[in-house]
Amino acid sequence: MQPVPIRTSLIFVAVIGAASFLPQFGSEYVVAVALSFAMWVALAQSWTVLCGMTGYGSFGHAAFYGMGAYVQVLTWGTLSPWLSVPLAGLVSCLFALAAGYPALKVRGPYFVMLTFGLAEFLKFSIIGIEATLGQFSRLIIGAPSPNALYLAMLGLAAAATLITYVVSNSRFGYGLRAIREEEQAAETIGIPVARYKLTAFGLSAFIPGMVGAVMAMRLSYFEPSQAFDALISFNIVVMAMIGGSDDARGPLLGALFLIGLSELLWARAPQVYMIVLGALLVFFVLFAPQGLAKQLFGGARRRAT
Amino acid sequence: MVDKLVGKLNALAVLNNNALGETHMLKKALLALAIGSGLLLPGTADAADPVKVGFAVAKTGLFAGAADGQIKIYELWKDQVNARGGLDVKGVKRPVELVYYDDQSDAGKVVQIYEKLITGDKVDLLLAPYGTSSHIAAAGVVERYKFPMVGNTAASVKLREIKPGNIWFTTGQMPDRLAVSLVELFKLKGIKSIALLANQLPFSLESKTYLVPALTKAGIEVKVSEEYPPSIKDMTAMLINVKQANPDAVVAFSFPSDSAIYLKQARELGIDAKFQFVEVGPTEAAFAKQFGEALNGIVTMGHWTPDNKQWTGARALFDSYVQKYNEPPSYLNAPLVYMSCQILEQAVAKVGLDRDAIRKTIATDTFDTVNGPVKFEGIENVGTPAGLLQIQGGNMTLIWPPSIATADFKPKPAWPAK
Repeated sequence: MQPVPIRTSLIFVAVIGAASFLPQFGSEYVVAVALSFAMWVALAQSWTVLCGMTGYGSFGHAAFYGMGAYVQVLTWGTLSPWLSVPLAGLVSCLFALAAGYPALKVRGPYFVMLTFGLAEFLKFSIIGIEATLGQFSRLIIGAPSPNALYLAMLGLAAAATLITYVVSNSRFGYGLRAIREEEQAAETIGIPVARYKLTAFGLSAFIPGMVGAVMAMRLSYFEPSQAFDALISFNIVVMAMIGGSDDARGPLLGALFLIGLSELLWARAPQVYMIVLGALLVFFVLFAPQGLAKQLFGGARRRAT
Repeated sequence: MVDKLVGKLNALAVLNNNALGETHMLKKALLALAIGSGLLLPGTADAADPVKVGFAVAKTGLFAGAADGQIKIYELWKDQVNARGGLDVKGVKRPVELVYYDDQSDAGKVVQIYEKLITGDKVDLLLAPYGTSSHIAAAGVVERYKFPMVGNTAASVKLREIKPGNIWFTTGQMPDRLAVSLVELFKLKGIKSIALLANQLPFSLESKTYLVPALTKAGIEVKVSEEYPPSIKDMTAMLINVKQANPDAVVAFSFPSDSAIYLKQARELGIDAKFQFVEVGPTEAAFAKQFGEALNGIVTMGHWTPDNKQWTGARALFDSYVQKYNEPPSYLNAPLVYMSCQILEQAVAKVGLDRDAIRKTIATDTFDTVNGPVKFEGIENVGTPAGLLQIQGGNMTLIWPPSIATADFKPKPAWPAK
C-alpha cells in the first residue's frame, strides 16, 4: 500500500469536519439534502470497490440496502437502533458472501442479470414473508433526530470513501484490477481470483446494509417494494458510471452531479428526471472516454487516469 | 364580477397546473393577478397573504387512476374557498394556495415530499396523499414534525394501534369494520361460500386479515384464497381457480389497476357469482367509461350518496363537481377527500394556524360534513358507518348499512355480451 499523500488526507479530514457542523448552520431542508448526498456517496463508493475495480457490474445493490433496512425494522424496539446498524451491515455482508459464491462464477452480462434477478427475488420473497407475518408496511416511531442520522450517514460516506481509497491503492486493489483486465492471466500469475472477488463482493455489501438501516430510521417507514426498489441499484450504477473511475474520486463526482440534478428536478418534474437519467446513461456509455460500458462488462483496457 | 374573474383565473391556473413543472410560477402570477384585481375594487377579495396548503399527489404510477379524483376535489375545494373570499383563519379571510408534487405512487417519495413541504416550502397546512401505504409513510413525517394532517383515502388498523397523534382518517371503512359489514350482508343474502383475492398492499391485506375470521365465525366457507403483488398484470390463473370453485361470492381486495384487470378477465372467463365485491376502483369515473354496462351489479366500498338529505352539502358537492369536471365524483373518494378539507377548514376557522391548537381541535370536536357528523376516537372516524355501494342500472347506489342505504342489494346480472 502506498503512503497516503498528506494533501489528500488533509482535504478529506477538512471536508468531513466541515460537513459535520452543517446541522448547526443549515436549515432542516439543507441537512436533508446533505444526508441524501452522503447516502449516495456511501452506496456508489461501495459499488466501486466491487464493480469499478473488478469489472463485475452489479445491478442488485438495492438488495443490500433493503436487507439493511429490513434488519433495522425487524430489530426495532428490541435492539438499540445504533447496534442494529452494524448488525445490518454484517447481515448484508454475509448474504453477499453466500450469494456471491455461486454468482461470481459467471461474468459480464450474465453477472449483471444474475445480480438484478437476485435482488428482485429477494424483494418478492420479503413481500411474501411480510404478508405472511401480517405486516404490510412498518412504521418506525421515535427514531433518532434527523441531525443524528445525518451525522451517522456522513460517517458511513466517509468510511466508504476511505475503504475505496485504501483498497484502490493496495495490493488487493491491484489484484482486483488485474481480474478486470484479464481474469485468466491474473489467475496464472498467482492472484487468488475467487477469494479476491468474493472478498470484494462482501466488502461492497457491508456499507450499503448499514446505509439501509440508517435510512429506515430516516424515512421512519419500511415497505419491501420500496426498500428493495430496483431504481436504487440503477441510480448507484449511473452515479458510479458517470463518475467513472475505479478510485474514490469517481463516485464522489457522480453522486454530486446526480444529486444536484435530482434536487432540481425530482419534485417539479419527476418524469423529466428519469428521461434525463436515461439520456445521460446513454451518453456516458457511448461517448465517455475509454468506454465505461467495456469496463462494466469486462475486457476493457486500463484507462489512462 | 370580480368573483367571476377570480374563478376564471383559478380555472386557468388549474389547467396550467396540469402540466406541473414550470407552470407553477404562472399559477402564482395568475393568483397574484387575481388578488390584485380584487384590491382595485374594495370589499371583494382579501389582500392577506395566501395560506399555503401542501400535499403529495399520485399523478403517475399504480394509484394514478383513483388519485385523479382526489386532486380534483382539492382543486374544487380551493376554488370554493377562494370564491367565498378565502379561508377563514380565526376570523381573517386569506386566499388558499395549493402546493403539490407528484409522488409517482411511491411511498418513499411521499416521505421526501412531506419533508420538503414542511421544511422547504414551509406550508401552513397539510392535506393527505392517496392510499393507505402513502398515508402510513406520511404518518412518520407528520409525527416527527408534530404537524397535524387529516387523512382521507386510507384506513389502517395497524396504524390505529400505534396511536399516532397527528393523523386521522375520515373513512368509516376501517378494515375490521368493513369485514363486519360484508359478513352481515353475506348472511342476509344467504352467501355460503366465497373466493378471496387480495393485493399485497397494506389496506387490502388488512381487509383480508379481518374478513377471514369473521367468515369462519359466520360459517361461510372460503373456497379459494389468493394473494398477489401490487404490480400484477394477469390474473387468469387465479381466476380459473375461482371459476372452478364456483363460489356464491367473489371478494377482490384490489386496487384500481388490478380491479380493472379483475373486471376484464372475470368477464372474459365468465365468472358468474351473484355477489362480486371489488374493493377500490369501481367508483371512479374512469371505470364507468371503460366498463360501462359490465359494472352493473358490482359491489364496492363506500358510505356516501348525494341523495341523503340529512347530510348538508352532499347534493351540492355532487352538482359542483359535475359542473366543474363534467363527470360524476367518486362516491368513495370524493366525499372522503372533501370531508378532510371541511374538517381542516372548520378547525382553522376556530383556532387559526397554530398546529397544537389544530391538533387538539381535530382530536376532540365534532365536525359537520357532506357525509354527516364526524367525530374522531384516536385516528378513527366513529361518526360514519362502514358502507357498501352497488352499481345498479349504471347508477351508484348505497346498499349498506340499512340506516343510510337508499336501495337494496340486487344479485349481479350476467356480464353483458361482448
